[in-house]
Amino acid sequence: METVIILMKSLIIGGLLGFSSGAGAARMFHAPKTQGLGAFRTLGEMNACEGDPASHFSFGLGFFFNAWASAVGAGAFTQDVDHRIIPNWATAILMVKNKNVAETMHNPKKMGIAGAAVGMVLVAFLNTTVSAIPKSLQVTAVDVLVPAATILIATVMPVLFWLAAIDAGKRSGFWGTLFGGIAQLVMGNAVPGVVLGILIGKGVDEQGWTKVTKIMMAAIIALFAFSSFFRGFDLQMIEQFRMQIPEWLDKAHAIFSVGK
Amino acid sequence: MKEENVTHGFWYADWSFPIFVGIMSAAVFAGTHMYVQYGVGAFNEVAIVAMLKAGLDGGSYGAAAAFGVSFLFARILEGSLVGILDIGGAILTGIGIGIPAIFLSMGIKAPIENFTLALIVGAILGLIVGGIIILIRKFTINQSNSTFGAEVMMGAGNASGRFLGPLIILSACGASIPVGLGSVVGALLFYIWKKPIAGGAILGAMVLGAVFPIL
Repeated sequence: METVIILMKSLIIGGLLGFSSGAGAARMFHAPKTQGLGAFRTLGEMNACEGDPASHFSFGLGFFFNAWASAVGAGAFTQDVDHRIIPNWATAILMVKNKNVAETMHNPKKMGIAGAAVGMVLVAFLNTTVSAIPKSLQVTAVDVLVPAATILIATVMPVLFWLAAIDAGKRSGFWGTLFGGIAQLVMGNAVPGVVLGILIGKGVDEQGWTKVTKIMMAAIIALFAFSSFFRGFDLQMIEQFRMQIPEWLDKAHAIFSVGK
Repeated sequence: MKEENVTHGFWYADWSFPIFVGIMSAAVFAGTHMYVQYGVGAFNEVAIVAMLKAGLDGGSYGAAAAFGVSFLFARILEGSLVGILDIGGAILTGIGIGIPAIFLSMGIKAPIENFTLALIVGAILGLIVGGIIILIRKFTINQSNSTFGAEVMMGAGNASGRFLGPLIILSACGASIPVGLGSVVGALLFYIWKKPIAGGAILGAMVLGAVFPIL
């Protein structure tokens, strides 16, 4: 009986997740005009498959084995279900019929429907399978895909975005370098910072220091300030500069460690 | 361009964005319910779910709450500015781990233990997050007709994607000799078929890895 309940719940969860994940991923291709829902790495990886259904499917498949192993082992699906498997498999399904990415991968409605189908099957499968998958497939997927994706996200993407920012003009090069460096320190990845640098640089290039660009600058500064605080970057920095942590700052941090 | 003409209406609009976030958040929050109830189904990495597990096992929810909520906060600001909300930090970690941890640390168990309530609470949280993002956008990006360097970012995004194929072969060769050879052969086959080599490299590596397991 419990299996039936788990199956029913999984179908609901998978359908909702798949729908929003597929539609959100398609919206990314229209960003920043349309607010997308996904991640830069998902965008990069989906572009990497160059509109070939077999590539989309096998890219998702590699992470599927990893997710399955993690679900069986620890009950955690990994973020790849949402980031990689659903968007890429939904794309693969749509592309069997139509190879034009503008009419398939970039269409939120079609991606939403295909994503819902993939999500229902995928989540139900992951939640109900108790038998383990072949260990050797798991190990290969983890050993090969994870390091490659890590290099892509940790090194290749920051460098390429950075160079693009520098080539795009003096302002975006300056702000991209500044925010990229700070983002690497605070968030552990430079890409969001470089993107914000391009945003500000190009915004100011095109319209000067208007109200809009000033608000954006303030929001970026707030973003970095809050990120450093919540990630404890401020405390680490003071420590590494061999200085004393002020008592009020320590207390402020203590307030936000809920439940300790 | 053709796709420029159809980017209106529900599927592309700003007002519908909170609905998409709401739907996804409902699913992810319910996923956390599944994990708490049945031990399987959390949409996150083992390491992050482990923080929530620490609290469930009688320890502190502090780590999960602080980690999750700080991620959510940063991603809301970032997402509205760059045009892509990062689901990993905002929804999977923020709404899926951070907020349940806060609820549980305060002794509010109902939204996590009841499936229907989990869906509703998740949807409301998502609507709020999506709404905040659209609100920030209204005061920034939408007030001007500047593209804010979108074409620069798209160019870099496309360029970085091309690196994946060679990178997979590099890491396959580091994993083991059979796996490395498999990925090279797979990539070559895909190249001859005029397909992106990343897919072939993965499949080749997995086939050889199944026959000659990595020790």
